[in-house]
Amino acid sequence: MPAGTISPFYAARRWRNRIWMSLSVVAAAIGLIGLFMILVVLFWQGFSGLSPAVFTQMTPPPGSSGGLLNAIVGSLILTVVGVLVGAPLGLLAGTYLAEYGRHTRLASVVRFINDILLSAPSIVIGLFIYEVVVVPMGHFSAIAGCLALAVLVVPVVLRTTEDMLNLVPNTLREAGAALGMPRSVVIRRISYRAAKAGLVTGVLLAVARISGETAPLLFTALNNQFWSTDLTQPISSLPVVIFQFALSPYKEWQQLAWTGALIITLAVLALSICARALAARGATE
Amino acid sequence: MNTAVNFNQSAANSKVLVRGLDFYYGATHALKNVSLSLYDGEVTAFIGPSGCGKSTLLRVLNRMYDLYPGQRAEGEVLLDGKNILAPDLDLNLLRSRVGMVFQKPTPFPMTIYENIAFGVRLYEKLPKSEMDGRVESALRRAALWTEVKDKLKASGLSLSGGQQQRLCIARTVAIKPEVILLDEPASALDPISTAKIEELIDELSGDYTIAIVTHNMQQAARVSRYTAFMYLGEMVEFDETNKIFTSPRDKRAQDYVTGRFG
Repeated sequence: MPAGTISPFYAARRWRNRIWMSLSVVAAAIGLIGLFMILVVLFWQGFSGLSPAVFTQMTPPPGSSGGLLNAIVGSLILTVVGVLVGAPLGLLAGTYLAEYGRHTRLASVVRFINDILLSAPSIVIGLFIYEVVVVPMGHFSAIAGCLALAVLVVPVVLRTTEDMLNLVPNTLREAGAALGMPRSVVIRRISYRAAKAGLVTGVLLAVARISGETAPLLFTALNNQFWSTDLTQPISSLPVVIFQFALSPYKEWQQLAWTGALIITLAVLALSICARALAARGATE
Repeated sequence: MNTAVNFNQSAANSKVLVRGLDFYYGATHALKNVSLSLYDGEVTAFIGPSGCGKSTLLRVLNRMYDLYPGQRAEGEVLLDGKNILAPDLDLNLLRSRVGMVFQKPTPFPMTIYENIAFGVRLYEKLPKSEMDGRVESALRRAALWTEVKDKLKASGLSLSGGQQQRLCIARTVAIKPEVILLDEPASALDPISTAKIEELIDELSGDYTIAIVTHNMQQAARVSRYTAFMYLGEMVEFDETNKIFTSPRDKRAQDYVTGRFG
């Protein structure tokens, strides 16, 4: 066959290639267009309601104007405390799995349960905390919300911690041991340091995950129309306010719901960018 | 066993004396009744085809295998007359006396200075000026000082492969071990870096008892005073290096050093 001519077999191969390539491009486009439309509407509706009042005033009663200050601060408190409780647990448990328990029976059981927890519907977590915290306390409280979010943080951080520590080469651990370092020093000073970017990324991803959670807060932190930073009292949060206001018939509330949604989206976006930047830096280090 | 003559003769100046050592990876019998001596201040090379157990033997000498469940050693390994296979031994202390350098350079993710100071701090509390001195002398011993003295605060990972390996040697030397184990320390390096490492081994001998695993026959011949030839987990021949390379008693050793297999 002279050079440059195309056999029928190869021509058919090329056609099949084109068809599948087009199908994947279309699939990707459908996904992206949907996402893009959501963002456009969100930005359009959200920005129009963005004003200083949003960050300085409390959530209003129906029919009057106001802001989201108590909800923003409530969300911050819930997220920060949730992460402070959940992340150390996840980090320590992940460390156990990667550094001590790699092949033990206990480790595989923990890993299995963690996988279930990772995909458990968050409303189930909310009900669980309702049963073990809210009912005994007799009322809804911020701390119950924090604990529900903490339960969501643990599996995310545990998984990323284990994965990131598993990426640390064993030769590095051996090199530490060869200098006479005790196991604990090798873990804290070598493994953690080598996996630092990944570990921080895991925590940031967990923050992004919980900052938009609504279901686990409905039965725990409930909501609070007023300013409150008391952990024993119900507390307001952006997702719950959005949920409540968006379903309401009042124009002002609906507008605030859009603006709140925009604020959460931007916060999660910023966190994701931070996480990516950190991960990229870790990869080149 | 024909190696018996050798190690009994000179057990007196043995830094490390291995007697009837068996090693198991789970059910795999990786070392079979191995005996040899590492003489004080001398370089001993372990040679043999892949999988013969040379690295395994090396990893018994600082009990690195202890990091992994399912690996176990039986027999005797005497360091200055004391059995290091004893179950109650302080492993960290043992490893501070028996240092190890690995095949691939393993700098820690910290500065060049910290790479060295970190190990020292585990065992000694030194004032800053003394620590600076210790870091400098370790880097000088590893022939790295002139190359890094202006960037001690740079990451250890920013160095070239050969420099990283010398940093690892400096790190090992800095904690003043008595024995240094080298597991194919030059196999991942270019010829110039390899030559530097070999020079370094030569300089360190005398002060330290050194064991080196190598796949490179010329390297074994160049750097070592004694050579152990291993095959399928057995110590086939252990003698002075020039004897192993010029007139080996065992046919397998002869075939190996002349490049007929391996």
